[in-house]
Amino acid sequence: MRKCKQIIELTSREMQEPLSWLTRLEVRVHLLMCKTCRRYQQQLSFMDKALSIMEQRLLSQHLSDSAKRRIAKKLE
Amino acid sequence: MAQQMNIAPEDWLNEYGDILYRYALLRVRSEPTAEDLVQETLLSGLQSYANFSGKSTLRTWLIGILKHKIVDHFRKNKYEMTTLHDEETAADILAYQFDHQGHWQVNLVEWGTPDKSIDDEQFWEVFNRCISRLPQRMADLLFLRAIDGVATDTCCELLGFESDNQLWVALSRTRVKLRQCLETNWFN
Repeated sequence: MRKCKQIIELTSREMQEPLSWLTRLEVRVHLLMCKTCRRYQQQLSFMDKALSIMEQRLLSQHLSDSAKRRIAKKLE
Repeated sequence: MAQQMNIAPEDWLNEYGDILYRYALLRVRSEPTAEDLVQETLLSGLQSYANFSGKSTLRTWLIGILKHKIVDHFRKNKYEMTTLHDEETAADILAYQFDHQGHWQVNLVEWGTPDKSIDDEQFWEVFNRCISRLPQRMADLLFLRAIDGVATDTCCELLGFESDNQLWVALSRTRVKLRQCLETNWFN
């Protein structure tokens, strides 16, 4: 039986790559029984979503005119 | 997509300069470096424009080039191979959250409907502050591996992790730290 401390590492890892089927099963069963780990996993999902929104928000900001001029000059 | 392809190379800087710059700045956290990366990206783009298939938008294509430039930048400025730093183990936070058997000893605060926070400007101030408080290698790991999807072995090489396992431990602890910061400063 895996401990919560291991489960939070595995749920973090699973957001990037699939786990082996056995590990995946262990995590699923643990999450069914453990409300705190379930809540933790939901919060991680929200943080990932927030990260991508943060990025979209930042991307809509602008490069200064002076920086544009410098780059334009170097590209000439 | 047809519209995107009509943008002439001499207008790329005006059209895509901002987005490339912000993208780079978020990852390298240095304005001069970000500017250099934009310049290198546009230059590469101009040189390899013939290879642009039009399957993606020009913007996506240029960001793809920039991603390679960013990886190159990290490769030139590789982290020394090292075990996890104290600040990265988040040992204090973990010790307080788990008992010696590895079970939770705190109740996580219910975040309610966190999606509401997304529309709140103040939430983004807190969020950005929490990101900027992460130790540098942790923030680099979060962006390269979790957001940009740079391969695990490449991330180990660039960021100086000794093994995949060490990388996963570090990524999890980065999230522990970020979560804790959000809970303390926003959801509490």
